[in-house]
Amino acid sequence: MLGGLAALARITRPAPPLDEASARTLLADDYPEAQVDRVWLAADGSAALARSGDRALFLFRLGDAWVARDLSWAQAVSAPVRQGRLWLPLPGVSPRLARPALAGWPPETA
Amino acid sequence: MLEAPFDPVKLAVPFFILAIVLEIALGRLHVAKAEYEARDTLASLGMGLLRGIPLLLTAGIAFGAMVWVWEHRIFTIPFTAWWGWVAIFFLEDLVYYAFHRISHERRFWWAAHVNHHSSQHYNLSTALRQTWTGGITGTWALWLPLAFLGFSPAQIAIQQGISLVYQFWIHTEAVGRMPRWFEAVFNTPSHHRVHHARNPRYLDRNYAGILIIWDRMFGTFQAELDEEKPRYGLIRNLGTFNILTVAFHEWIAIARDLASARSLREVGGYLFGPPGWSPDGSRDTSESLRARWAARQAAASTPAE
Repeated sequence: MLGGLAALARITRPAPPLDEASARTLLADDYPEAQVDRVWLAADGSAALARSGDRALFLFRLGDAWVARDLSWAQAVSAPVRQGRLWLPLPGVSPRLARPALAGWPPETA
Repeated sequence: MLEAPFDPVKLAVPFFILAIVLEIALGRLHVAKAEYEARDTLASLGMGLLRGIPLLLTAGIAFGAMVWVWEHRIFTIPFTAWWGWVAIFFLEDLVYYAFHRISHERRFWWAAHVNHHSSQHYNLSTALRQTWTGGITGTWALWLPLAFLGFSPAQIAIQQGISLVYQFWIHTEAVGRMPRWFEAVFNTPSHHRVHHARNPRYLDRNYAGILIIWDRMFGTFQAELDEEKPRYGLIRNLGTFNILTVAFHEWIAIARDLASARSLREVGGYLFGPPGWSPDGSRDTSESLRARWAARQAAASTPAE
């Protein structure tokens, strides 16, 4: 009942689609020392992939919050692209396969 | 007295429900800050509702140990003595501080407690996101000295319940700050928001149960700062609402680390080191995160030559 009430109330945190500035800001929360070289955004703004030297930083939406993961850049650029979506295996405490449709992916120079 | 004549937590359940309904209503009406995400709320409620099942596994051992210690007590503190309740109020709260501190600063106990911090939200439902594995970590043993002193198992259980009920209402963003005298003595929503924050400045601070005085005494107090809003959750957030992952993810991570351990030192470090400990120091701990944050702050405030 309380879960239903929480849904009906529609008092989630605002989580608008990502743009480059908001993606950089959110990544800076999780990786404050990372120098972000470039950001690729999902077409629907629900995810972003950034290059930071030899690391790839990934951001995805969970409900009304954002979750960050990092992996090696080599893993990110070698991940397959199927039907316009990058199939990106994310490490961490709850491994998952992300499938963002990133604009401008794959990069011309890996 | 062995068994408590009443359970403060059970008595408070209707209050918990009404308070959550009220917080949601106030948030909906924009009267107070309250953010709820339905799946996050369901995960918290699920953790709270189902916590009794795994607790059954160890409740008998914990209760048996408490009774055995009480039977070998050095004093007998009457259940009806007012001074006994005053004494246990302070002593139980001090034990809670110790329990809570070890639950954050040593990975074995953090594995049981981390689920309570896994929500990226901070509302009254977060208070119900309780541990499933606390019993097996043996932290109940921290309360045994109270029985040895002469407090009955019933009195200890009631005071533990009172503490748990008190801590419910501080899980909210709807309350800003309490009067200054109250903030000085008691744990409050403001103090506990700091505790649930993952900002480096706020990590491993404000372990208090009811009284914030212990943090002030032992150097773990941090006030909530207007210029630094708390960001809730874990250093690396879970990325799922699955309550099995919420409950067991850190235990699984420990098992993976132990499987890769190459020495007894590494086994000890992975189990009883601070969360984030690694043999080569390549992972982040609260201490390393705070140190690097302090270094960045210092660098930012140093004028460029």
